Amino acid sequence: MDGFKKHLSDSIQVRLSVTLSLAILIVAALAGVFAFVSALNEAHEMQDETLRQVAVLFERQQMTLRYPAGAQIVGDDEESRVIVQYLADSSKATGSDDTTTPLPFPTTLADGLSTINIAGENFRVLIRTTSRGERIVIAQEADVRDKEARESAWRSLLPFLILFPVLLLVVGDLVRKLFRPIATLSKEIDQRDEQALHPIDENHLPTEIRPFVVAINRLLARVAQSMQAQRRFIADAAHELRSPMTALSLQAERLSATEMSAPAHERLLPLCRGIERNRKLIEQLLALAAAQSSPDRSQATVSVHEVYRRVLEDLLPLAERKRIDIGVEGIEDVQVNINEMDLFILVKNLVDNAIRYTPVDGRVDLTIELAPESAILQVKDSGPGISAEEQILVFNPFYRSLGTDETGSGLGLSIVKAIADRTGAHIRLSFSDSVKKTGLCVSVCLKRAKP
Amino acid sequence: MRILLVEDDPMIGDAIQGALNDASYATDWVNNGLTALVALQAHAYDLVLLDLGLPGKDGLDVLDVIRGRNNPVPLLIITARDGLDDRLRGLDGGADDFLLKPFAMAELLARMRAVLRRKGGSAQSLLDNGVVSLDLVSKQATTADTPDVQLSSREFALLQALLIRPGAILSRSELEDRIYGWGNEVESNAVEFLIHALRRKLGSHVIKNVRGMGWMVSKST
Repeated sequence: MDGFKKHLSDSIQVRLSVTLSLAILIVAALAGVFAFVSALNEAHEMQDETLRQVAVLFERQQMTLRYPAGAQIVGDDEESRVIVQYLADSSKATGSDDTTTPLPFPTTLADGLSTINIAGENFRVLIRTTSRGERIVIAQEADVRDKEARESAWRSLLPFLILFPVLLLVVGDLVRKLFRPIATLSKEIDQRDEQALHPIDENHLPTEIRPFVVAINRLLARVAQSMQAQRRFIADAAHELRSPMTALSLQAERLSATEMSAPAHERLLPLCRGIERNRKLIEQLLALAAAQSSPDRSQATVSVHEVYRRVLEDLLPLAERKRIDIGVEGIEDVQVNINEMDLFILVKNLVDNAIRYTPVDGRVDLTIELAPESAILQVKDSGPGISAEEQILVFNPFYRSLGTDETGSGLGLSIVKAIADRTGAHIRLSFSDSVKKTGLCVSVCLKRAKP
Repeated sequence: MRILLVEDDPMIGDAIQGALNDASYATDWVNNGLTALVALQAHAYDLVLLDLGLPGKDGLDVLDVIRGRNNPVPLLIITARDGLDDRLRGLDGGADDFLLKPFAMAELLARMRAVLRRKGGSAQSLLDNGVVSLDLVSKQATTADTPDVQLSSREFALLQALLIRPGAILSRSELEDRIYGWGNEVESNAVEFLIHALRRKLGSHVIKNVRGMGWMVSKST
């Protein structure tokens, strides 16, 4: 019940439906009562009119009364019978029930309509004094009159009883239909990609919610702008760091070329490594900023094998230093539709990661698997792998697995993710050895180029 | 050799000038584009190192003026600008190479040598990657352990193909193309056979195999 109350106060749709239904209910009830009462009165008045007409007819025709003596007339119904008698005959009444005439009306009754109880039954009675001076009684049993009046009153209620549920259904349906654009709109916004900040289509929306949508669009534009500004700041900052970094590394390089004592030389080495690491971090930051920006990049048909080759040429020295057996499995090549630089940076970051997190004497494999519409590129290593809980986290910038002493920038997989999001590629992480749960296997699903 | 260094960052300029002097290049260092143009009119330089983000006159404008004067001096751009547009404008504008900051001094020196060699038009008679050197005239290969090993013409062709771009991986079919002329029947396993022979003569570390890809000689460091 609380849930319904909350629904009622929160949802315009529910509130509208309930309020409209209640209004219809109240109006229908009032109208029903009114119709019932007026129909009842109408019926009574008509029956009184009948009594009056009979009296008028009696006087105009100068009729005289004789009381039937027990003879039954076909089609006669004792209950609905109209009784006409002289008021003066009432004293001659013999029977104690209402089946025999004359009936024992009190002779003191005044002219006009009244309801009186005779022998345990209610009678509607009209007393009239004719021009001849006779007082006549026209009477009818009240029960049958009431029954007929009630029946006709109930009949007048029937349209309301049919209309009420129909109206409820119509109102419910109408409200639901009117609110459908809003439901569609919220679904559209809900299903959006997190990077999708393009404005919502304002056409085909009711004018009532259009200002709201316009406001949302303005908000989206502002968010896009600030995200853009943030990225530009990172790119600019990294850019500005380039020159001082160059100065630093060149100076350190010169220093290492000079004559110096062995301990000094030993201390210089970590310094140079630190500078190298910073240089790499700046490069990765710039790569990430580039991967996240400008979605309109020229696409071309790119040979995966060719990209593998360029990546291996770049990273072979790194692999050799750790004596890692790196290579391509299978000889099949495939053409994919993507910007060549994007694919190169994507694969390079994956292979770079694989080499970094694979122990000395390990193994890294690059493979291509073909599906009818797509190509799956895989980079498998013999490192420790990434646990299922960590698999979502590793795409966050600067995230680094615990227990690794690798000096990576922590941006590699973020760059991969950014490129994948922009190009519509799918990334999946799994184990290279699913039984032992070791080794990272990154699968990249790309759309194949049409031959 | 006389080098003109155009660089406005004092720390970088100082470091490059020092390193160039250490490498026996005579270096004049100016820190803006206008002075650079004056210096180029006053002296004949063997090579210009040009930064793009210069005060007063932008590096690309300096380049336009130099080439506008029909000065063919070898020119190498060193810059922090990584935009493709800048790179294309630089190379289209007549720069001989484009080096992105941050870089290692060794790389700058290697690029300078390459530019000077290209511009000098001197045909190389020796290919070298620091591990093995190949004399293109005598077809002799030399490593630290094995001096002056005579190679067969196919062994020579294969090693030459690899040494033209050290660090590049060449596939079997690419090597076959280099070794065999048109119309020559390619023997199966010929590439493996030749590489085996070369390794026996020069040591197995000279030619590296990249699984699933092909072969390469390591890049000079």
